[in-house]
Amino acid sequence: MLPLVVGFFFISSPVIIIAAGIITLVLAVTASFWILKPLNILITGTEILNKGNFNHRFDIRSGDELEEVGNSFNLMADKLTQTFQSLEKDKDLISVEKNELGVVLSSVIDGIIALDFNRNIILLNKAAQDLTGFTQEEVFGKPIDQIIHLFSDQEEVFSKYYCQTNFNQPLKLVGKNGSQVKINLFSSSVSAGIQTRLGCILILHDLSREEELEQMKFDFVSMASHELKTPLTSIIGYISVFLGDYKNKIPKEDFDLLNRSLISAQQLLRLVQNLLSVNKIEKEQLAVSLEPLDYYLVLSKSVEDLRSQANLKNIVLTLFPQKEPVPKVLADPLRLGEVVTNLVANAINYTPAGGKVDIFTQVSPDKITTTVSDTGVGIPKEAIPHLFNKFFRVSNQLQKANKGTGLGLYIAKSIIEKLHGKIWVESEEGGGSKFSFTIPVFNQTKNVLDSDKYALEAVQSGRLNY
Amino acid sequence: MDPSPKKILLVEDEDFIRELYVRQLTKNGFLIKSAVDGQSGLEMLKQESFDLLLLDIMLPGMNGLQLLREFKTQYPNSKMITILLTNLGQEAVIKEGFELGAQAYLIKASYTPDQVVNEVKNALSGGQPAPTNPIQ
Repeated sequence: MLPLVVGFFFISSPVIIIAAGIITLVLAVTASFWILKPLNILITGTEILNKGNFNHRFDIRSGDELEEVGNSFNLMADKLTQTFQSLEKDKDLISVEKNELGVVLSSVIDGIIALDFNRNIILLNKAAQDLTGFTQEEVFGKPIDQIIHLFSDQEEVFSKYYCQTNFNQPLKLVGKNGSQVKINLFSSSVSAGIQTRLGCILILHDLSREEELEQMKFDFVSMASHELKTPLTSIIGYISVFLGDYKNKIPKEDFDLLNRSLISAQQLLRLVQNLLSVNKIEKEQLAVSLEPLDYYLVLSKSVEDLRSQANLKNIVLTLFPQKEPVPKVLADPLRLGEVVTNLVANAINYTPAGGKVDIFTQVSPDKITTTVSDTGVGIPKEAIPHLFNKFFRVSNQLQKANKGTGLGLYIAKSIIEKLHGKIWVESEEGGGSKFSFTIPVFNQTKNVLDSDKYALEAVQSGRLNY
Repeated sequence: MDPSPKKILLVEDEDFIRELYVRQLTKNGFLIKSAVDGQSGLEMLKQESFDLLLLDIMLPGMNGLQLLREFKTQYPNSKMITILLTNLGQEAVIKEGFELGAQAYLIKASYTPDQVVNEVKNALSGGQPAPTNPIQ
């Protein structure tokens, strides 16, 4: 049996090798089919994913761990796709928001400048570019104070100041190549709690249109007042001449008729003058031309011009004689006359028929005080602080109607302050009113001369020889 | 009465005002001539001499200040008194008028014609201020 076995052994060995080869081949094919192919799919797939195609999926149906790995990869790819899609969406949203913000900023008519913590420019919208003359590219990252210059009167205002708190003020802006424009600057510092590099926001509102409108209003009021005054001057002139000529030649009733026309025309003229003055005060163009005056002459002319109006209301108007010689004052006779006229006309208006209006002066070494005292309705305590404000009128139960425009006292105060004096009132409701104002006497006004070139020159040239 | 009436030239473009002032000044014994604009006013000043010039500032063509400047250049030694007629709100031109030698100014709207006559009389009598008697 042994030789047979051995013989068989020897005979069979090539067969075995072939068989083994076949087995190996089968195994290799199996392995390549069951193992290498899925691995290959994985390698190719990850490469595709790497290239950014998140839609690729792994198709492994090996029924073993490799299939699970493939499924995990598919899951991961799904998640990636979702995340990527939502990121894309966010990106779109952000860019839409950014575009919208850009459109909003460029559509705003006011200039907007954003500064970072070091007050360097990080944004300049379209309107700000127009106002300053700079483009965003020219100034990006540069310190604001080196780019635009802002002035309040003559004094430059820096970002250190206006970025500190909420700031809201008209200023002059000097931009590129010295271009100038009047703006209102509103600025606010950005609170540190917000996660941005923003330090301060500036809003620049162009005032040139407003200024233009203001100028138009000013010119119109000036023109209209002037045009009104010319015929009024004729009316007053002619009636006063007629009344002067015929005072004792016509019946008193007829005289009164015409006298009332004259008084009304004079009232209208004072109104027109007040309009003109307030127009100038508003534009800060109310000029006073100082000259040495005999103050009592100015005072008595203004008082006398109102006498017939007082007589008509049966009010006793008294200008008390000066107790001591009144020194010369350096003032503007027209403007001073306006003050007296406004105060006395008010006193007559607010004093019932049969009352009294007294005007007296008091001289002290440095000033003359003039007081207009009436027996009128008086002024309620709560109204006194507002009395010299523009358009303010006392609403008072004792008064049947609100007379006047509310301009007279405002004008009086503006003028007296320009003449370096003071104006005030003492009054009690029902107990009459006492309006007083001061004007400095000439020796006290010498320091005033320093601020008035014309008067100084006049004194130096000897024309104002006092 | 003054034996020789004073001669006045009034330059004023507003007809009603001019005629009214002429009437009142004539009534008060002055010899008055008038012009309606600056150019004709200046011509009249060249032709004869006046004691006093009542000069409106706002005039068509050559204005009052231009007239005054021209006159002062041609007649620097003239003794004529100049009173400016103005409207309120012309402070700057008043200053300029004084610099050109005007002695006084009147606000047309605030002065009745008789007050204007009084101011003219005052100016011609050497600028004596009106008495400051107590008034009631």
